[in-house]
Amino acid sequence: MIVTYNWLKEFVDFNFTVEELSHRLTMAGLEVDFLEKIGEGLDSVVVGHLLAVDPHPEADRLTLCKVDVGSEVLQIVCGASNHRLGDFVAVAQIGTVLPGDFKIKKSKIRGVESQGMLCSEKELGLALESEGILILPAGLSLGTSVFAALGLKDARFELGLTPNRPDCLSVVGVAREVAAMAGQSLRLPTPVLSESATASTTMTSVTIENAEFCPRYAARLIRGVKIGPSPQWLVRRLESVGQRSINNVVDVTNYVLMELGHPLHAFDFTLLRGGRIIVRPAAEGESFTTLDSQVRSLKSSDLMICDAVGPVALAGIMGGENSEIQPQTTDILLESAYFNPSAIRRTSKRLGMHTEASHRFERGADIDMVPLALDRAAALIVEVAGGAVLAGMIDAYPQPIEQRCITISDRRTRQILGIDLGLERIEQILTSIGLTVLPPAIEMEHNGILQVLIPTFRPDLEREIDLIEEVARLNGYDAIPETMPVSRLVNQRPSKRYQLAEKVRDLMVANGSAETINYAFINPNVWDKLGLAADDYRRNTVQVNNPLTEDQSVMRTSLLPSLIETAARNLSYRSRDLRLFELRPVFIPRPGEDLPDEPLRLALLLCGRRDPDGWAQGAEQVDFFDLKGIFEEIAEVLRVPQLRWQMDAGEPYLHPGKSAVVYSRKQRLGVLGEVHPQTLAAFAIESPLYVAEFDLEALLKVAGHFSGIKPLSRFPDLTRDSALLVAEEVSAARLFELFDKVKSKDAEELILFDLYRGKGIEPGQKSLAIRVRYRSPERTLTDEEVNKAHGKLVEMLCKELDAKIR
Amino acid sequence: MNEKNIDALLSSLEQLAAATLAALAAAKNQHELQLAFAAFLGKGGDFTALVKLTGTLPVDERPRFGAAINVAKTRCEEFRAQRQSELNTAEISHKLASERIDVTLPGRRGFIGSKHPITLVSEEICEIFTSLGFGIAEGPEIEKDFYNFEALNMPKDHPARDMQDTFYISDEVVLRTHTSPVQIRTMLKEKPPVRIIAPGTVYRRDSDITHSPMFHQIEGFLVDQHVTFGDLKGILHSFIAQFFGKGVNVRFRPSFFPFTEPSAEVDIACVICGGKGCRVCKNSGWLEILGSGMIDPEVFKSVNYDPEVYSGFAFGMGLERVAMLKYGVSDLRLFFENDQRFLRQF
Repeated sequence: MIVTYNWLKEFVDFNFTVEELSHRLTMAGLEVDFLEKIGEGLDSVVVGHLLAVDPHPEADRLTLCKVDVGSEVLQIVCGASNHRLGDFVAVAQIGTVLPGDFKIKKSKIRGVESQGMLCSEKELGLALESEGILILPAGLSLGTSVFAALGLKDARFELGLTPNRPDCLSVVGVAREVAAMAGQSLRLPTPVLSESATASTTMTSVTIENAEFCPRYAARLIRGVKIGPSPQWLVRRLESVGQRSINNVVDVTNYVLMELGHPLHAFDFTLLRGGRIIVRPAAEGESFTTLDSQVRSLKSSDLMICDAVGPVALAGIMGGENSEIQPQTTDILLESAYFNPSAIRRTSKRLGMHTEASHRFERGADIDMVPLALDRAAALIVEVAGGAVLAGMIDAYPQPIEQRCITISDRRTRQILGIDLGLERIEQILTSIGLTVLPPAIEMEHNGILQVLIPTFRPDLEREIDLIEEVARLNGYDAIPETMPVSRLVNQRPSKRYQLAEKVRDLMVANGSAETINYAFINPNVWDKLGLAADDYRRNTVQVNNPLTEDQSVMRTSLLPSLIETAARNLSYRSRDLRLFELRPVFIPRPGEDLPDEPLRLALLLCGRRDPDGWAQGAEQVDFFDLKGIFEEIAEVLRVPQLRWQMDAGEPYLHPGKSAVVYSRKQRLGVLGEVHPQTLAAFAIESPLYVAEFDLEALLKVAGHFSGIKPLSRFPDLTRDSALLVAEEVSAARLFELFDKVKSKDAEELILFDLYRGKGIEPGQKSLAIRVRYRSPERTLTDEEVNKAHGKLVEMLCKELDAKIR
Repeated sequence: MNEKNIDALLSSLEQLAAATLAALAAAKNQHELQLAFAAFLGKGGDFTALVKLTGTLPVDERPRFGAAINVAKTRCEEFRAQRQSELNTAEISHKLASERIDVTLPGRRGFIGSKHPITLVSEEICEIFTSLGFGIAEGPEIEKDFYNFEALNMPKDHPARDMQDTFYISDEVVLRTHTSPVQIRTMLKEKPPVRIIAPGTVYRRDSDITHSPMFHQIEGFLVDQHVTFGDLKGILHSFIAQFFGKGVNVRFRPSFFPFTEPSAEVDIACVICGGKGCRVCKNSGWLEILGSGMIDPEVFKSVNYDPEVYSGFAFGMGLERVAMLKYGVSDLRLFFENDQRFLRQF
């Protein structure tokens, strides 16, 4: 909603400066999104008189003008074509800075000096669009400021109104707020109509068939108007609030819409078949062409304004092409009605039509404004387009509504706001915005309660709390002292799940990974890139009904695709060493449930060097075991028991020989591995990637507790090294399992410290170098007993693993 | 056996001691020192030879000579210890002098991990509120229309729904447009007093340079008896002082949210220009960072709290917005592009 300073002044007296008013509006909840001062700094735009308009010697489209600005005669080159010798024009002199930071300088245009500029309305900030330069009324004093001479200095406030304040969708509505701020009263327009002798009821009638959707419909007939351009003041007013002039009659309806906030519609009366109005729901499937030439398909829930034959307007939203004001129109039926907000909203939403009228009716227009708006418009039409208003207003208002009555108590007000204002102040505030406080019944007075009548322009005031808000708002939020709440303590630690997620995130950061946040919606084609089977469970996604793009159309069931895409992006930025993770939910549909499951997942991705590039670090590239190590560390910190690694994750996007599924006992925890070359190709990535995805909900199930410390031995240890030659198929896990099974009680740990293949080792074999640490909690072990224990251990290992000592 | 003259022996002792001290002083390293010491004081050394002559002295003069020998020997031994220490120090110094490194070479390092800036601000805000006695709650990102709208006093066909462009899964299921449904879920489960802070991911159907279709909010609310708008102001001001710094100007401005009344937008003096007016604050000098208000009685009704007994406040803020202000990030898209060069700065 746009209002201007000067227009507000028509309805209320106030002394606020432009800045003060802007601040006060904002602090009263009518936020000023944009403030534009019209004519500010433009005193050097002065009235000039065209003494000569000659063709430019070098350019056909330019004119060379001599302009008398009183003190001197300037030579100005002008590109417009609407100016004539003798016209009075707006001259921006050298040094003027026009809106948009456009500075006027002395210049040469096609070889001819130009000492200023002749301005258009747009260039002066007077209109959003304009054609040609501004031609001023003749006889203005030369050299005076154009803005001063025309009284055009103004300020435009663009208000960001909240949906609860339809009353402020008009200049009068905003003026009412200003009146409350200034302690002044509001002056509504008081139209005076001289009606002709003929009664309108002799020529037309209004029938409301659905009073729920249309509680009130008023109309007036005006005959003999002459459609034409609007006078300058009307055009300028509309333009000052961003409206374009169409013709005098339509302009008046728009003017009253902006002034009083009430949408009106003017029909060409001769085009109304049967000369009457019927308000009824549309027939299901009926089609109708609106003013904008669009054919609309209607439903029985749409409310239509009809003549004796069929629809002539989509009620409260837009008129019809068939009854539109034409240049030759002479007789007008002027509509001023009130429509049910929900009904209008349903239709405008379904048809995707958002108009100035629907915007107001949806939010709630003022039903009591119907007659005033109608008379105001009728009077203005006669003023600017001639004609005569027929006697009597037709006002179909089958069930006049009663004003709502709400109570407000000072106790409740104090309870909510934490400030004691007293009933007197509350009453003063409420009456300042046009509410009526009823004289108190005796018993009420003692209870500290006010009874308040709510005018129809405030449909948002329905309950006591709404009044308390008005009191707070108008008294000023600043006036409410800050306090700290007093409340009982409640023990509320975050959930175990939340704590686990925090811990895992901290561990990932500790191992050097950077956290990413990717969009939760993805393109379903990523499943093809991963090579998932047609019946893979991850293809069963939650789908967004109205996505912005295909790339954001399904909710992800795995974190990996977005993480791989993120890696591709980073690689394209030449970041080659990547350690990334994401810890977020995925969305798994649940049959028979409205809402999907949202299990938390951890995805991680490694690529490039193991350590940062530098003289002190090695240049090794990451591999599967970096990935595995990260998870082992997490599992250890979370005390996850008995990790088990199953070769080949069986995921189409992972290398079958370099991937695994990890379990804790029987609980599957996730997969990890090197990305399959075909998947890399699908994402246009050339470097090897290692990725893993773990299920935090599963981790939460298996995470253990601290189970007490192990005693420390105070005696020295002895270690023994051996190298075992085994077949390639023998897994390390087998070695460790066996060790746990057969070790003597003093064998403390087994370290696999080297893995060797190649020279000296037959193909199909590998050498495992192991170190066993022996230590007793009770005494110092002797070499002999350790030798014996180790010999026995190695013997058992060799036997079970079919190994030889190397 | 000839009885020697004690004076002659004492004079020899003195010479010997002087020679010994000179030899020890001349030793250039531990080895030479060892040799010199052995030559004079070791077995078969000159001192030993001299001690053997004690027997040639008259008996009554032997103690005197013995004492003189001990004094000389002690002197020499002490000097040797001193020299040994001196040589040791010199040798260590010499060794260290040859072992210089360039301490300006970069250290040996691994990768330093980082949390996403949105996580960082979320954690910081949660920490501030948990220290005020708030608990942390979460809710689903895919939410029923009831929790996201209806229970929050936004029935279908309500114009307030236009304030939030919604992604729909079905007629009854949406991607939550705000974290406020956590209020409903919490209040349906728990009885007052409740004090909750709820960070989360939210979605709105809007994408341009200043809007991301997915973003983050943090919601807070407190319900108990006797909670006032003044309390709301107090809590939020205290939060802002913690998060943006003491002395940052704050203003509460009337606004509208369907689920609070009275409602307030909270502005802070622009942290970029300090309130003078700049591009970031659109020349207003103020930055809008929070929406807040007293919980609407309608909301209480939908969770079966008695609005006559309980009152409460709620507030919400966009985490991207506060992260942009806190870290001086001017482009919203950076948060979701996940450029490692960006992420690793946090």
